[in-house]
Amino acid sequence: MGANILKVNNLTKKIKKKEIIKGISLEINEGEILGFLGPNGSGKSTTLRMIVGLSKPNSGYIEICGYSIKNDYVKAMSNVGCIIEEPNLYSYMSGYKNLEMLGSMSKGVTKKSIDDAVELVGMENRIHDKVAIYSMGMKQRIGLAQALIHKPKLLILDEPTNGLDPQGIHDFREVVKGLAKEKNISVLISSHLISEVQMMCDKVSIINKGKIIRDGPLDEMISTGEVYWVLNDLKKGQKLLKEFFCVGSIIHKEQLIALIDLKELTRINKKFIESGIDLEYVGTKKKTLEDLFLEVTEKQNIE
Amino acid sequence: MILLIQNEVIKLLLKKKMILIIFLLLIFITLFSYGEKYAYDKNIERLENLSGDMNYDWKSLANQRLKDLDKRLDSPYIPEGGISSIEIEIEQLNYFIENDINPITPSAAKFSVEFVEQGILLFIPLLIVILAADLVSGEFSSKTIKVLLTRAVPRWKILLSKFIALTMMTTILVFIIGVLSTFVSFLFLQRWGLNEPVATGFSLIQGTLNSDYVVLVTRFQYMVLIYSLVWFVSIVLASITLLISVIVNNTASAIGILMAALISGQFLQFFLSDWTLVKYFFVTNLNLTHYLSGSYQVIEGMSLKFSIILLSLWALLSLLISFIVFNREDVLV
Repeated sequence: MGANILKVNNLTKKIKKKEIIKGISLEINEGEILGFLGPNGSGKSTTLRMIVGLSKPNSGYIEICGYSIKNDYVKAMSNVGCIIEEPNLYSYMSGYKNLEMLGSMSKGVTKKSIDDAVELVGMENRIHDKVAIYSMGMKQRIGLAQALIHKPKLLILDEPTNGLDPQGIHDFREVVKGLAKEKNISVLISSHLISEVQMMCDKVSIINKGKIIRDGPLDEMISTGEVYWVLNDLKKGQKLLKEFFCVGSIIHKEQLIALIDLKELTRINKKFIESGIDLEYVGTKKKTLEDLFLEVTEKQNIE
Repeated sequence: MILLIQNEVIKLLLKKKMILIIFLLLIFITLFSYGEKYAYDKNIERLENLSGDMNYDWKSLANQRLKDLDKRLDSPYIPEGGISSIEIEIEQLNYFIENDINPITPSAAKFSVEFVEQGILLFIPLLIVILAADLVSGEFSSKTIKVLLTRAVPRWKILLSKFIALTMMTTILVFIIGVLSTFVSFLFLQRWGLNEPVATGFSLIQGTLNSDYVVLVTRFQYMVLIYSLVWFVSIVLASITLLISVIVNNTASAIGILMAALISGQFLQFFLSDWTLVKYFFVTNLNLTHYLSGSYQVIEGMSLKFSIILLSLWALLSLLISFIVFNREDVLV
């Protein structure tokens, strides 16, 4: 992966003497999508607000594209586009006027960059209407355009799909994924909708009660380490595993399932084939992200 | 920075506040100037009845007064200070006689000055509050403060651009008040009266009216003077409104607090005129124009200079606190 875009280190925040954030660290590289998961009131929004400069941390530091948000606010923020909670627009203006106004606050925003952003979110037809008569989905699109007009390297989206219909969610997801892939924009997306995160993100951080309790690449987090094979001779396979690799296994629903070190997988597969077994399919067994989420957040509640 | 100010001006204009304000002004000015015309007509009618003559002759009355004044000026017993005020009255009367104008005839310029003299305490502050109260708090209410503060612009620049835009709009507003009150009242009164002589420069020294420094200026010059004071008061009020708007983050509360301050300030100075602390309250000092006309002071120890310095301090302090609070504030909406 490319350069480090966002670096958050040991952030803490007290609001009215209550410690809301207790030492959060995050990192995002170029073109990565990080999902920020957590139950309501876990501190997701507070963390994102600190990253975009709406709120000041009590300790810890935030760096965007190598610029500290505290000392180099303008340089750091010129690389960030965001929607915090909902797209907030001036309802007494047209969508276009909104974009023009916000665009004029950043350097190098031309008429073309506004038109490009409008086209990207597919709002060409209604852009000159007053925001007051837009639907939620349209506001969300303008919100995204607003976050993109100054071509940021980091996009921060806080609960971006709240209030969108399934079609809207789908469109939104495709746009964000496209941005990360084609324009190499890094995205930090917070949500309590697990399926959304699972479909979009490369990495996941799960936060609860102001602390990050699990983080890592999505694949790693949801894999259980269990591998399953579909073989024409399950019994023979089971015997081979036991003899050569000292691994116990079970046969369940026409599958041979075993808990192995993934590094051994190629050697095991080779052995099966050499022993004359037809290897039809092999895969790792995955938990759903939902299981993981519930598991870790519940555990926290008990402590 | 110019773009930022331009944005803020556009926002102020698009909120259509100015249209509301102009509408309010039109209603009140029309009502008052009609009332002025009506009262004048009634007055003339009464005077005509009194003299028993259909042609009420103000000129002979004025000439009579002029003769009296001349006689008094010749008298060796008048005090030193009296001479100048008598001379001024003679000069004024001469002007009216020469130009064949009844001194009590209302004119557009006179109306315009009276309108702001009356309005400076409550009506004009109210218009400023309408204009400015939601400048920052409105951004919080609509939550657009989040998009505004997440651009690559430091917060102080955003507040400064708002303040400059507000100053510009306030200036325009004062100008509009002047133009509207003059032109609308002209429709009723049919006289501009810009060249009439006006006496100004009275001062209150140890409880007595001192007219040593009284000078005659034209009504137009006087108008410019009064409107400059109104402008100054408006800018001070705009700064204080900005502070409240930054602190409370809620437009309704901001308007409520400011109205409460303005109204309570009015009766505070009458009920608590012995309490010297009251004279440091900004509302007590708003009535700058009455220093020029030499009317009665409710609280002792207040002068034009005192009020201007005090109001400037209020404005500067308000701006300072606004910037500090706005810069540090956590946006949690």
